[in-house]
Amino acid sequence: MGEELTIVGKKVPRWAAFEKATGAARFTVDFKLPEMLAGRLLTSPVAHANILKIDTSRAEKLPGVEAVITFEDVPNKLFNPNKMDMCLFDPSGELPDMYVLSDKARFVGDKIAAVAAINAGVAEEALVLIEVEYEELPAVFDSLEASNPGQPRIHDFAKNNIALTFPCLANRGDVEEGFKEAHVVVEQTFKSSKQHMCQMEPTTCVADFDASGRLTIWSMSQHPFLHRRKLAELFDMPVGMIRWKTLHIGGGWGKYGSFVAEPVCVALAKKAGRPVKLEYSREEDFRTTETREAHIMTGKIGVRKDGTISALQNKVVVQGGAYFTHNSNATNVAMGCFASLYTCPNVYEIADAVYTNIPVSGGCRGYGNPPAMWALEQLMDMAAEKLGMDPLELRLKNTKKVGEFGPANYALETSTFDDCLRLGAEKIGLKEKRGGRREGTKRYGVGMAMFMHVSGSIGATQHRNVHLKFNEDGTVNLAAGCVDLGQNIHGTISQIAAETLGIRYEDIIIHTGDTDTTFFDQGMHASGGLFQIGNATVKGATELKKLLFERAAKMLEAHPEDLDVKDRWISVKGSPDKGVSVADVAKDAIYNYEDDHNHLAAKGSYSPEDNQPPVGASFAEVGVDTESGEVNVIKLVIVCDVGRAINPQTVESQLEGGASQGIGYALTEDYTINPETGYLEADNYITYKIPGAADMPDMEIIQYEKPVSTGPFGAKGVGEAAMVPIAPAIANAVYDAVGVRVTDLPITPEKILKSMEAKREKI
Amino acid sequence: MKKEIAKFTINDRPYELLVESNVTLAELLREQLDLTGTKCACGVGECGSCTVLIDGKPTLSCSTLAIAVREKDILTIESLATREGLHPIQQAFIDHGAIQCGFCTPGMIMMTKALLDENPDPTEQEVKEGIGGNLCRCTGYVKIVDGILAAAESMGKEGGR
Amino acid sequence: MQSLKPFEYVEPATIEEAVSLLSDYADKGKLLAGGVDIMPRLRHRKIKPAFILNIKKIQGLDYIDGNGGDGLRFGALTTIRSIELSPVIRKDYSILYEAAHQLPSHQVKSMGTMVGNLCVGTPASDMATSLLALDAELKIVNTSGEKILPIEDFYIGVGQTVLEPGDMVTEVILPSVMPGTRGSYQHLVRTRADISKVCVAVWITITDGICKQARIALGAVAPTVFRAKKAEALLNGRELDQDVIEAASQAASQETKPITDLRSTAEYRKEAAGILVKRALNKTLERAKA
Repeated sequence: MGEELTIVGKKVPRWAAFEKATGAARFTVDFKLPEMLAGRLLTSPVAHANILKIDTSRAEKLPGVEAVITFEDVPNKLFNPNKMDMCLFDPSGELPDMYVLSDKARFVGDKIAAVAAINAGVAEEALVLIEVEYEELPAVFDSLEASNPGQPRIHDFAKNNIALTFPCLANRGDVEEGFKEAHVVVEQTFKSSKQHMCQMEPTTCVADFDASGRLTIWSMSQHPFLHRRKLAELFDMPVGMIRWKTLHIGGGWGKYGSFVAEPVCVALAKKAGRPVKLEYSREEDFRTTETREAHIMTGKIGVRKDGTISALQNKVVVQGGAYFTHNSNATNVAMGCFASLYTCPNVYEIADAVYTNIPVSGGCRGYGNPPAMWALEQLMDMAAEKLGMDPLELRLKNTKKVGEFGPANYALETSTFDDCLRLGAEKIGLKEKRGGRREGTKRYGVGMAMFMHVSGSIGATQHRNVHLKFNEDGTVNLAAGCVDLGQNIHGTISQIAAETLGIRYEDIIIHTGDTDTTFFDQGMHASGGLFQIGNATVKGATELKKLLFERAAKMLEAHPEDLDVKDRWISVKGSPDKGVSVADVAKDAIYNYEDDHNHLAAKGSYSPEDNQPPVGASFAEVGVDTESGEVNVIKLVIVCDVGRAINPQTVESQLEGGASQGIGYALTEDYTINPETGYLEADNYITYKIPGAADMPDMEIIQYEKPVSTGPFGAKGVGEAAMVPIAPAIANAVYDAVGVRVTDLPITPEKILKSMEAKREKI
Repeated sequence: MKKEIAKFTINDRPYELLVESNVTLAELLREQLDLTGTKCACGVGECGSCTVLIDGKPTLSCSTLAIAVREKDILTIESLATREGLHPIQQAFIDHGAIQCGFCTPGMIMMTKALLDENPDPTEQEVKEGIGGNLCRCTGYVKIVDGILAAAESMGKEGGR
Repeated sequence: MQSLKPFEYVEPATIEEAVSLLSDYADKGKLLAGGVDIMPRLRHRKIKPAFILNIKKIQGLDYIDGNGGDGLRFGALTTIRSIELSPVIRKDYSILYEAAHQLPSHQVKSMGTMVGNLCVGTPASDMATSLLALDAELKIVNTSGEKILPIEDFYIGVGQTVLEPGDMVTEVILPSVMPGTRGSYQHLVRTRADISKVCVAVWITITDGICKQARIALGAVAPTVFRAKKAEALLNGRELDQDVIEAASQAASQETKPITDLRSTAEYRKEAAGILVKRALNKTLERAKA
C-alpha cells in the first residue's frame, strides 16, 4: 500500500449523480407495473383499544376495490420487524410481539387494515368505509409511569409493561468499589428524544406475485437478504420464491433496518392477485414507522483526584413505544458505547425496556450511541467542573490507548483521540473562547464532546460478498448485494475495485439491488458498509487481478509475479517495452480462438475479522440570548479519524450531513405526543422541524487520516459518526455560555429560560 | 367542471390532456406523463421537492391544481439537460457532491434555476435564503450551497443560459 | 401522498361572478388563489368543499398602487413575493416588507397571495400582525355591495374571520404614513422555516423625540392577532427612554393570552412577547435616530 494511489483518495463523482441530477433516477415511489393497484393503510385513531369488530363489507363493495385486509388475512404469527435477530449478538433479545395487522390497537398509528384499489382515490374512499368498533382501554404514554404497578398492561406477557430487563454486555469490575475510590461523583438523569429519520422519500413498497406464485418485492430495505428470509418465514414461503429488488432510495438512516410497508403490501398483493404499491403519506410515515429510540439514562460517574475515571454506572429506561422492535440491540449499543468511550475499570449498566402506548422506536443513525453520549459527555463536563479540572484535560486523561478495546470488542490498532481533541480545540479556539464572552443580552460559550463508533457490527452472519467479471473491453461488472441510500457505498467500492485492478473508476459497472443476481450481503447498518464490503471488494478484485495476470503472463511470456498494472496497461517489471492492455487480456479470455477461453471472474467474501472504530471529537461555539433563551450555533468543528478517506468529498458530506441531523436532534426536533391522547402532534415537516439551509452554522470538517491495517486501504466506517457528539457538544457550550444545563432533548429556549430562572431562584 | 381536456406546454412540448379537477400538477406530471423526476416528499408544500417552474416562477406542484395552470409554460427537471449536455446547475451539483440520496435534488435544482434566473450573482446568504423552502436531510446543505455558488459563477462566465 | 377528493372547479372571470357563485355555493364553496393554504387542508380532509372557485383568472387584482405619502393599495391576487420585492413597500411600509421577507420559502411567496394569507385567520400570521400595526383596511365585496373594514375588526377567533359565505376580500388599503414614522417587525421561530411562535410589529410616529402615535401588534399569543393598547398608551406622548420601553414591554406581555402547543409554551410566549416588544421598540428608536 506504499504505492501511489490513483483513484482511492480522490474526489470522483458519486454513484448515480448524473441520473439523480437529471431526474432520471427511479425511486420506489416512482415505480410502476402494469395492472398495479394502489395500496392504502388504515391505522388506529386511538392509543389503546380492543377491536370488537371490523366490518369491511361496505369497503369491499366499492367499485374499484380489489382487496381489503384485516388481521384475519395476515399470518397468525408474532414477529419482530427488526432484522437484528438474524445477524447479531443477542438473538433472543428482540422479542416478537407484533402482527402484520393487529386485532388490538396499541398506539395511535397502529396498523389495523389495508385496501388495494384501482387508484389512490378509490383506496382512500374505501378506508373511510371500513367500520371498526374500538373498545377503548386506558393508555399510558410515559415510560416511568408505565412500569408502576396498576398501569394499563399493553402486552399480556409484560408485567408492569417491562418487556425485558437486561444488563450491559460490557459490565466489568466493581462499581461500588470504583465510586469509593472516586474523589468526585456526579449523578444525573438525561432524557433523549425520539428523533424521526425524516428521510425524504415517503415509505413505499411494491409487491407482485407472478403466475408461478413467485413474489418480487421492490422496497427500500437496508437488508434485502435478511428481510427476504424474514418475510419467507413470516408468510411460510421458500426463500427462493422471493426476489427482493432495490431501486434508488431517498434516505433511510436505519428506518429500513426493519420491515416498514413490506408485510402489509405482500398480504394485499396476495389477496388481490395483482401487483400493489403501498405508499405512506408523510403523516403516516411519522406516525406509523420507526424513529430513533429514546432513553432515560440515570448516569453516574466517579473520577479520582488525578482525573482518571474510577467508575461508570448507567440505569436505562428504554422508551421503546408500543412494540419491541430494536429495543434490545439499540440499547445494548447505547450501553456499550457508554461503557467503552473511556478507559474505566468498573462499569455497571442495566436497562429496562418499557412498553408505552406511543409510536414504535427503532434504529436511527448512530443507533444507541447519540443518547449514550448525550449522557456521558455531559457527565464528563459536570465531573470536570466539580473536580476543578479543564474538561479537555479530563478527557485527555481518560482516552483509550492502542490495544484497549473499542465498542465492538476489538483491540484498537490506533489511538487518535488525543490528536483529534487537540486539533479541534485549536481550530475552535477553545482556550480563548471558553468562559462566556458577553455582548448585550448575549452570552457566548464553547463546548466539546468526544465519540467512538463502530465500523460495522459483529456476529456470525456479518459477511459480505461481491463478484466481479471482466468484459472484453476491459470494463468490469461489479455485483454486490449492498444498498445505497445516498451514502455512496456503490461509488466508494467502485473506486476500491478500480484502484485494485489498475483500471479507471468509470470502467467499473456496478450492479446491485437484486437478490437473484447478487451474493448474500447482510445489509447496511452500523457504519459497516465500507469497512466490510470494501474489504470484500479488495479481496475479489485482488483475486480477479491474479487471474488477469496469469493470463497476461502467458501472453507476455513472463511470470505473473513480475507484472504490474496501471491505467489499464499491464507491463513487465524491468522490461518497459513489454506489455499488453487489460482489454486485450480480457478479450482474449473470452474470444480465444485457440480454444483457451475462460471468462475472468472472481468472488470476494469478507467476514469481519476486525472492527476499527471511527473516533474523534466535535466542538461547538454557541451564542445564547439570556432574555429569550434562543441558541445560535455559530460554529461547529468536527475532527474525525476516518482511517483513510476513499472519497474525501463523500466522507466530508457524510460528516456534514450527520452534523446537521445532530443539530436538529440537539435543538429543534421534538417528537411531540399529546399527553392526553397519545396522538403524535409533530407529524410532518410543518410541525416537526428539521434544519434548513439557513439554520446551518459555519462548519469545519477535518478528516484525520490514520489508516488501519484491517480496513480497505486503511478506511473505517463514518456514516454515523458525526451524528453522535453534536448534541452534547452544544449542551456543554450552552452551559459554558449561561451556566445552565438542559438534560432533556431538545435544548429549547423554553427549557433554557426555565433552567435559568430556577438557577436564579436557588441563588 | 370535474374533467376537461386541457392544453399545457411542458418542457417546451405541447400536450393536450384529460384532466380531472382534483388532480394536482405533481400527479399529472408523475402519473399521467411519467415525468417522475418531480418528487413529492410531504404533500403540503413544506419541503420543496416538487418544485417546478411555471412561467418561470418556482411553484410547488403538489399544491397546485393541474387544471388551474392549463395553457401555462411548465418546466420540470427533465427539461434541463439537452443534447449538448447537462445544465451548468446540474454539473455543479455533481461536481460539488451536492447530491446524496437525490430525492430533494430535482426540486433543489429547479429552485436554484429560479433563483439564479432572478439573481445571477447571489451571495452565500442569499443562496441559503433562496433555498429556504427546500429541505434536504442528507447533506447539511454545505455542498448544495457550494454547488449553487459554483453554478452561478460558471453561468456568469457563459453569459447565462 | 393522499389524493384530493373530487370537487367541481370553476373559474369566475370577474369579481361579480366570483361573489355571486360564492353566495350560491354558501359553505360548500372555497376560494382558491395561490393554493398554499387550501391545498394542504384539502389533502388532509380538513375542508371538503364541493366547489373550488379559482379567482386567479380575474383580471386587475394583482397590483400595488400608491406610496407612503398617499396611502397604498394592493389587490387580492398580489403575491407575498411582489410585496417583498416592492421598493415602495420596503421604503414606506418597512414592517410589511420585513414580515414578508422573513418567510423562508420562495415557492410559497411566489404562489401565495397576501390576502389569502390574511383570510386563513391564523393568529400566527406575520403579515396580519404587521398590517394590524399599519392600521390596514380590507375591502370586502359581496353580492349586495362592498364595505371597508379595519383589519382590527376582521378576526374573531382562531381560524375565524368576520367573512360570511359570499364575501370576498378584494383589496388591502394602507393609510398614508405620517412623517417620522418608523417600525420594526420581530419574531421567534424554532427553525428559520417555522411558523412564528411569537411575532410582534410596532409602528411608531415620533415627532421631536416624543411618541405621537404608537401601534403595537402581536401575533401567536392570543386567539387572534391583536393590538396591545395598554402598552401603546404608555408610549403615547412620552419620550421613548428605556424605562418607558420596559414598562410598555411588560404591559404588552400582560395583554397576551397565549396557549401551549408544540411550538412553545404559554408561559414562554407571554415572556417572549415582552422581550420582542422591547426589541422592536429599541430597533424602531434606532431607526428613528438614523
